[in-house]
Amino acid sequence: MSRASVRDRSRAFALVAPLVLFLALFFVWPLWTMVTASVVDDAVTKVLPRTAVAMADWDGSDLPPPAVHGALAEDLRTAQDQQALGEAVRRLNSAVSGFRTLLTRTVTAAREAPDPAALDFAAVDPRWNEPRFWRAIKEAVPPYTDRNLLAALDLRRDAGGSIVAEEPGAAANRIIMLRTFVIAGSVTLACAAIGLPYAMLAAAAGGVMRALLLLAVLVPLWTSLLVRTAAWFILLQQEGLINRTLGSLGIIDAPLPLIFNRLGVIIAMTHVLLPFMVLPIYSVLIAVPRNLMPAAASLGAGPIRAFWRVLLPLAMPGLMSGCLLVFMVAIGYYITPALVGGANDQMISSVIAFYALGTANWGMAGALGLILLAVTLLLYLVYGRLSRSPQLPGA
Amino acid sequence: MLRALQIVFGILVVAFLILPIIAILPLAFTSSVFLTYPIPAYSLRWFEELVSADVWRLSIVNSLIIGGGATVLSTVLGTLAALGLRASSLPFAGLLRTLFLLPMVVPAVVLGVGMQIFLVRLGLASTYPGVIIAHAVLCVPFVVVSVSAALQGIDPAVEKAAMSLGAPPVTVFRRVTLPLAVPGVVSGAVFAFATSLDEVVITLFVAGPNQRTLARQMFSSIRENISPTVAAAALLLIVGTLCLAALAALLRRREKRAVAVP
Amino acid sequence: MGAFIAFQDVTKNFGAVTVVDRLDLQIAKGEFLSLLGPSGSGKTTILMMLAGFERPTSGAILLADKPITHLPPHRRQMGVVFQNYALFPHMTVAENVAFPLEMQRVPRAEITRRVERALDMVRLSPLKDRKPSQLSGGQQQRVALTRALVFEPDVILMDEPLGALDKQLREHMQLEIRDLHRRLGLTIVFVTHDQSEALTMSDRIAVFNAGKVEQIDTPQAVYDRPRTRFVAEFIGETNLVEGKVVEAGAQQAVVRVGETALNVSGEVSPGRDVSLSLRPERIRLGKEPAAANALNVTVADCIYHGDHMRLVLKSGTIELVARAERLAGDWAVGTEAVASFDPQDCTVLAS
Ligand SMILES: Nc1ncnc2c1ncn2[C@@H]1O[C@H](COP(=O)(O)OP(=O)(O)OP(=O)(O)O)[C@@H](O)[C@H]1O
Ligand SMILES: [Mg+2]
Repeated sequence: MSRASVRDRSRAFALVAPLVLFLALFFVWPLWTMVTASVVDDAVTKVLPRTAVAMADWDGSDLPPPAVHGALAEDLRTAQDQQALGEAVRRLNSAVSGFRTLLTRTVTAAREAPDPAALDFAAVDPRWNEPRFWRAIKEAVPPYTDRNLLAALDLRRDAGGSIVAEEPGAAANRIIMLRTFVIAGSVTLACAAIGLPYAMLAAAAGGVMRALLLLAVLVPLWTSLLVRTAAWFILLQQEGLINRTLGSLGIIDAPLPLIFNRLGVIIAMTHVLLPFMVLPIYSVLIAVPRNLMPAAASLGAGPIRAFWRVLLPLAMPGLMSGCLLVFMVAIGYYITPALVGGANDQMISSVIAFYALGTANWGMAGALGLILLAVTLLLYLVYGRLSRSPQLPGA
Repeated sequence: MLRALQIVFGILVVAFLILPIIAILPLAFTSSVFLTYPIPAYSLRWFEELVSADVWRLSIVNSLIIGGGATVLSTVLGTLAALGLRASSLPFAGLLRTLFLLPMVVPAVVLGVGMQIFLVRLGLASTYPGVIIAHAVLCVPFVVVSVSAALQGIDPAVEKAAMSLGAPPVTVFRRVTLPLAVPGVVSGAVFAFATSLDEVVITLFVAGPNQRTLARQMFSSIRENISPTVAAAALLLIVGTLCLAALAALLRRREKRAVAVP
Repeated sequence: MGAFIAFQDVTKNFGAVTVVDRLDLQIAKGEFLSLLGPSGSGKTTILMMLAGFERPTSGAILLADKPITHLPPHRRQMGVVFQNYALFPHMTVAENVAFPLEMQRVPRAEITRRVERALDMVRLSPLKDRKPSQLSGGQQQRVALTRALVFEPDVILMDEPLGALDKQLREHMQLEIRDLHRRLGLTIVFVTHDQSEALTMSDRIAVFNAGKVEQIDTPQAVYDRPRTRFVAEFIGETNLVEGKVVEAGAQQAVVRVGETALNVSGEVSPGRDVSLSLRPERIRLGKEPAAANALNVTVADCIYHGDHMRLVLKSGTIELVARAERLAGDWAVGTEAVASFDPQDCTVLAS
C-alpha cells in the first residue's frame, strides 16, 4: 500500500473515531450495562468472599462444616462497607425472610467475639441450626444468575435447581409479550391494509396529486410523536371530538369507549406508524415502469388479474420491508400505549419502565430489555437484508 | 366506479393522517378549561399559562438548552464520521455505518434503562450533560444519514477539478467539499434538534426534575391532568417542527439542484 | 530527449486487471495529441495518471524531463477539462474561473482583470454572475475550458469534453478548441472515442486497444496506413483480405489472394499469411484496368447512401465493398466491371 493511501486511511479513521468512541461509551456500554445488570448477582459475594470459597466444598445438605462458620464470622466481622452489607442483607432477605434480624444480630456477635473463628452460631441465634438459611447463602454467593432471565420468561429454578414454569398466578410476562406481539401484529396489519392501496394510489397519481398524497404522509412523520399522541388522546376522549360528532349526528346514543382500551391504542399507533408502511412500498412502486399495467392489460390481463400477477408481486419487497419496519418499531412502543391504553394494553416497554422507574429492579428491567433488544435486532437484521439499505425511511 | 372508490379511499386516508393533527390546533385557543368542541370563546390564556407557569416555562427553556446541546454535539460528531465514512479506504465502513444507525433502531425504553444505570454510575444522571449526551446518541443517526447523502451527491470530479486547478487537499475540503456538504449538515442539525425536542422516553429515564423538557412535561400533563396548555404546547411544537422541516426540505432541494448540474 | 511529456514503460493495474500495459508515449511541446480507443481501453486512466489522480503501478511519467510520477495533482500545473465539466456548483461562473488564479495567489485586482479577459474571449462575460446550473451545456463546456486555460498551465488535458454536446455544438466547439490550440500554442492531450473528432483535431492520434497502443501517427497515416487490423477496422471502413506473400521487396510485396496476385505496400517476408486493408473509396470501378492492381468483378449489391453508393463486388472468393460517387454512373446489380487500386492503398497489416 502506498504512502498516500495510508495517510488517507488514517485520516478516515481519525474522522470516524470520535463518534465510534462516543457511541461505544454512551450507547454500547449502557446497553451492555443493562445486559449485565440482568445476570450479575454479586451483592452477597462482595461481602462474603471467604464464605463463598469455604462453601464451595459443602454439598448443601444438612449443616455446613465448621470451616464455613469460621469464614462467615470473619467476613461479617470485617465487613466495613455498610451500604454493601445492606445490599447483601436485602438480597438474602428476599430469598428467605428473617435474614435481616438474623444477620444484624450475628454481625454484632462476630464483632464482639474474642475469637471469631470459634463463634458459636447456634448460640447467637437458633435459626442458624436450620439448613435453609445456610442454603440461601450458598445459592446467593455465585456472582452470576439466570434468575432474572428465567423470570422474564415466567420460569424459575425449583429447590433442586431444575427449571420449572412459574405458578400461573405469578406469571405475567408471557402474557405481556404475547400482548405486545398481538398489538404490534394488529397495527402492522392495519398499516398494510391502508398503506398498500394508498402507496399504489400515490405511485399511480401524477404531479400535484402525488405530491399532496405524499405530503399527507410526510407531515405526520415530521410532526412530534407526542403531539400526535396528544391529538388522539383529545380526539378519543369520552367527551372528545369523535364521540361528540357521532353523537350529534345521531349515530350513537352513548359515547363509545375509545380511549384507555385496545382499539384506541391500535388507532393511534396505526396513525403514527402508517408512514413507515407507505414510504417503502411507494419507493418500490415508483421504480416500476409506468406502462407496466397497460402492458399487462394489453396482454389480456383484466385489472384484478393484472393487480395480482403484476403489481402485487412488484410491491412485495416494499410491503415486506414496511411490515418488518412497522412491527419492529411497534413492539418497542411506550408512549402511545402509556397515554392512550388501559391497564390491559400495556406492552413490554411499559413493564420494563415499571421495573426500572417504579421499583428500581434493574435485574428484571435488564432481562426484559434484553429480550426486547434481541427481538428488535433480529428483525432489523432481516430488514437490512431485505431492503439492502440499513437506513430507515424519514431520516 | 373504481375511480370513485379510489378517490374516496384517498380522501379518507389523508383525513385520517392529517385531521387529528389539525383538530388539536384550535383547542390551544379555547377559553374553556376543557379540551372539547365547540370552543366557547377564543383566548390566549393557555399560551400565557405556558410562559408564566414555572413548570412550563422551565420546560421550554430546558428543551432549548438540551436540544441545542444535543444538536451541536451530534452534528459535530456525525458530520466528522460521515466525512470519514466517505473515504473508500476505510475498512469496515459498512459495519460502522450500521453502528451509527443503531440508536434509531434500539427501542427507546431499552436504551433508557441502560442509560439510567450507566449515567448513575458515572454520576451524570439528572444532570444537563447527562441528558444532552443521551439525546445526542439518539440524534447521531439523523446527522450521519443526512450528511452522508449530501456527500454522496458531490461529484468526485468536482474535487479532482479543484485539485488540478492547484488546490491542495485542505483547500479542496474548505472551498469545495464543505460548502457543498453544508445543506446536508444543516438539515442533519435540524433533524437532530427536532428529535431532541420530541424525545420523551430517554428523558424519563435520565433527567431529573430540573431537566424536565417540554415533551416530558406534556407527557406527564396528559397523563396526570390534561389541560388546554397541552394543546398550546402541541401547537408550539407543531409550528416549530414544521418550520424546521420546511427549512430542511428547502435546503435539500437547493443542494440537489446545486449538485445535479448535468 | 526532446519530448515534453513522456510515459516510460507505464503499467497500471486495478487489482488483478491490467488497464494500461507497458505504455511508452512521447508528447512534444505544443502538440495536440488525441487518445482514441473503444470504451474501457484505458484512455481515462492514462489521463488521470498524467493529471496525478492515479499512480502508475510501475514505470515513470516525465514532464520536461523531470519525473512527476509522485507529484500530487495540485502541483502539476495541468488544466483538466472533465467529461461532465465538473464546475463548482456553488460558485458563479466568474468565481469558477477565478479559482485557479486564487490558488496561485494572484493579486485580487489582477484576478478580476484576467477573469474578465478570459470570459470575454469565449463570449461569456454577460453570464459571469450565473451559477453553473443556470447555463446551457455548451456554455458550461466553455466555462470549464476557460477555467482550465486561465492559469496558463503547461498542458491541457481533456477527457471527452464534447461527449455531452449535440452534433452541431460539438463541431462548433471542435473548431474553437483547435483554434485556441493554434493561437496559444497549447499542449493538449485529448481523450475521445469519436474517430472523426480525433481525425479533424489532432496533430497525432494514439489508438488504444485494451490498454495497449496500437498505433501512434498523424491522422493521415493512421487512416491511410493502418498498422494493425484493429486500427484499420476501428477507424473508418475497410476491406480486409487474407492472402499469402509470394514476393517481397523494400516497402512493397506481392500477395496471392485466391487466384489473383496483388501488389501491396508494406514490409513483410515471403511465405507469410497476411491480412490486407483496402479502403472502399480507394477502389476505382471502370470498364478497363486503371492501376497496378485490377480485378474483374461482378456487382453483387448496390446500396443507396444519398451522396454516394456502396457497391458489393465479387471476384471469385474475394468480396470487396467499394464507394462510388453518384456522378460515377449507375452500376446495376449483375454488371461486370474492373476494380482498380494502387499498391500504396493496399496495406499489409501486422498480424
Ligand atoms: N478505480 C478503478 N478500479 C477498478 N477498475 C477500474 C478503475 N478505473 C477504471 N477501471 C477499469 O479500467 C478500465 C479502463 O478504464 P478507463 O476509464 O480508463 O477506460 P476509458 O478508455 O476511459 O473508457 P470510456 O471511453 O468508457 O471512458 C475499465 O475496464 C475500467 O473498468
Ligand atoms: Mg473514459
